Amino acid sequence: MVLKHQRIRLKNNKGLILFFNCRLWIQTCLIFILACSGRKEGSINLDIVWENERANGLIIPSVYLTEVPPDSINNSLRVYLSSSQSRTAILGDYQQAEDGIIFKPLIPFTSGLTYEVSVAGKTIGKIEIPMPIHTDLPALTAIYPTQDTLPENLLKFYFEFSHPMREGQALKYITLLKNGTDTVWGTFLDLQPELWNKDYTLLTLWLDPGRIKRDLQPNQKLGVPLVHATSYTLIVNSGWADTRAVVIAEDFSKNFFVAARDSIRPDLKRWSLKTPNPNTTDPLIILFNESLDRILSSEAMRILSADGTPVNGQIELKNEEAVLEFTPESSWSKGTYVIECEKRLEDLAGNNLNRLFDRDITKDAEQSMKEIFTRKFDIQ
Amino acid sequence: MKKSYYLLAVGLSALLLTASTHRNAPPTGFINGTPAIQNINALAFGPDGILFIGDSKSASVFAIDTKDKTNLDKAAAVDVKNVDQKIAAVLGTEAKNISILDVAVNPVSKKIYFAVQAADNSTVLLTIEGDKILPVSLKDVSYSSVSINNAPAEDAKDQRGRPLRVSSVTDLGYADGKVYVSGLSNQEFSSTFRSIPFPFANKQDQSSLEIYHAAHGRFETYAPIRTFTTAQLNGKKYLVASFTCTPLVLFPLDEMKPGTHVKGRTVGEFGAGNSPLDIITMKKGDDSFLLMANSSRPVMRVKYKNLESYEGSLTEPVAESYATAGVSFVTLPMVNVLHLDKLDDSQVLVLQRKANGDLDLWSTGDRWF
Repeated sequence: MVLKHQRIRLKNNKGLILFFNCRLWIQTCLIFILACSGRKEGSINLDIVWENERANGLIIPSVYLTEVPPDSINNSLRVYLSSSQSRTAILGDYQQAEDGIIFKPLIPFTSGLTYEVSVAGKTIGKIEIPMPIHTDLPALTAIYPTQDTLPENLLKFYFEFSHPMREGQALKYITLLKNGTDTVWGTFLDLQPELWNKDYTLLTLWLDPGRIKRDLQPNQKLGVPLVHATSYTLIVNSGWADTRAVVIAEDFSKNFFVAARDSIRPDLKRWSLKTPNPNTTDPLIILFNESLDRILSSEAMRILSADGTPVNGQIELKNEEAVLEFTPESSWSKGTYVIECEKRLEDLAGNNLNRLFDRDITKDAEQSMKEIFTRKFDIQ
Repeated sequence: MKKSYYLLAVGLSALLLTASTHRNAPPTGFINGTPAIQNINALAFGPDGILFIGDSKSASVFAIDTKDKTNLDKAAAVDVKNVDQKIAAVLGTEAKNISILDVAVNPVSKKIYFAVQAADNSTVLLTIEGDKILPVSLKDVSYSSVSINNAPAEDAKDQRGRPLRVSSVTDLGYADGKVYVSGLSNQEFSSTFRSIPFPFANKQDQSSLEIYHAAHGRFETYAPIRTFTTAQLNGKKYLVASFTCTPLVLFPLDEMKPGTHVKGRTVGEFGAGNSPLDIITMKKGDDSFLLMANSSRPVMRVKYKNLESYEGSLTEPVAESYATAGVSFVTLPMVNVLHLDKLDDSQVLVLQRKANGDLDLWSTGDRWF
């Protein structure tokens, strides 16, 4: 049963009165459900407070607390795991509500585990936390680069998910197969903390840079992570839980073939441009002549008008990240525009606009220290 | 006469009150409130019970006045079996649903602090007293903070209004009035290393620099720092850093100026297929030692005097498979150590995954150094 519009009056131990209006919460996308679907045991009804599909509280009806003085709640009430032989009290806050006490643990309750509540040492009830009511399973939505032929000095993969995923689990669920049969170990760098975006929906996984960097000991002894002219399958296994503890239901795989080393920096001068007509909102089409980093090619680049004002618009990457289309919000005017690119734009091998990923200082020219690279184009 | 005594008493009281007020005054720039910490990734203690928290999600370092200032010279020995299970129990879950992200010891009180991550990626700060695990509230505390996301482009939004890159804090340290922060970008292959004067000033005076190291005098690459410490060698202060690809590299701190391109001197390679996890410095008599925990090698000990006398830089590739090179070091009979910290002058705190899978927190005496 879901009570969508219940209004609960809360009062914490210090007498501060808080109001939680579920309707408002729903409007502001904070889902607050009083779930009565948990399997209950013991003598009393315990309700779970759900917030953002997490069990963030337990409501203990006041009728069972009549003999507990308000200033003794912290000492008398105890919530603990049923499996805890020592009945270790769970850390959290007790808040006085109109109809009882709400216990809010320091971290959300865990689905599948059973919790008990005791008053003055006597167990008064227990409840198993069910899985959150969810309508969508987490899924892997993309792996970048999308190309199926990758350079042997490929530096990183991006994994994009439909839901925020649990951190610290990546290498338990991501595996690499060589020629469809042999699992390849030690390919990825085991970084803690892992490199996630703020929302935990985009993971960056580096292939071990120590093995890519020429002449470093890992490179010499273990070789490059990806071997030239070899087929690989990258697999994201099912079972990886998101932050709601809902797991990915199906394996996802990407096949690719390893081609030659990429030892050339991206260069704006070598890009081909298809410029749109004035007084249209047709896209500016930039052909990189190679696939570039999916995230950086959209985030390190912008279009400026001749006076340096940024042109607002949408960036779309096509043809396996080898083509960028910029569609302006307003029509193009006749005149000169500028493609501005931060030095950090990288190709698939981590070569950026200034330098190669690993520069042979005995052969390569001194690297540039420029921060911004530009290229002009005309709309006529 | 009575009046004189009275005035003297008033004067003494005022003096004591001033002294007391001064002692309890918050550090410069600190305010009272609830810091907007989004994630506790890295911990390090500064002076007077100040705890630095590295927050990758808000790209900030927070300085928290823990008020934990009762001095203790020698810590009691630590031996907490299955510390992850004990932490999980007080958090109401199982050990598989939590991760201990960092451990730090307050050098004043010798109290141990943990950054713990739950399965929903939220993080909490805990401390341990004996075998009792307690929460450390970050509500209504005295704190200050500094942004580490100061590159102009990083504060901007792109043309579709999406937030830009995250700078993950890989390690945090404090020495001689400065907070040092190493970070990695979740986008480009780059490494930032910042030295930030503490107390944090309104006008930031951060050094952000690019660190390179050369492999055997030939190939030069960016060098993302994994873990570091600071040390004095031959009277000069150095950053002693270890990288995602294991070499131990020295950088003179006085050469690390904002915006500079600093190349370090590689003094050791400690074997392929390994990543450094934690570095600490311990002192015994006139000798100082560096202790380094590793992902797939035992704890290593390097004598600073050997670092001082090792004038060279590795120029020749290591010939033998999985061999090591450079400064001499001792391998300690201790594997799967995930975190190290100095418990007191003669004890090291160790978080270790045992062969049977248990995660134990314990301390060792100076037999390690």
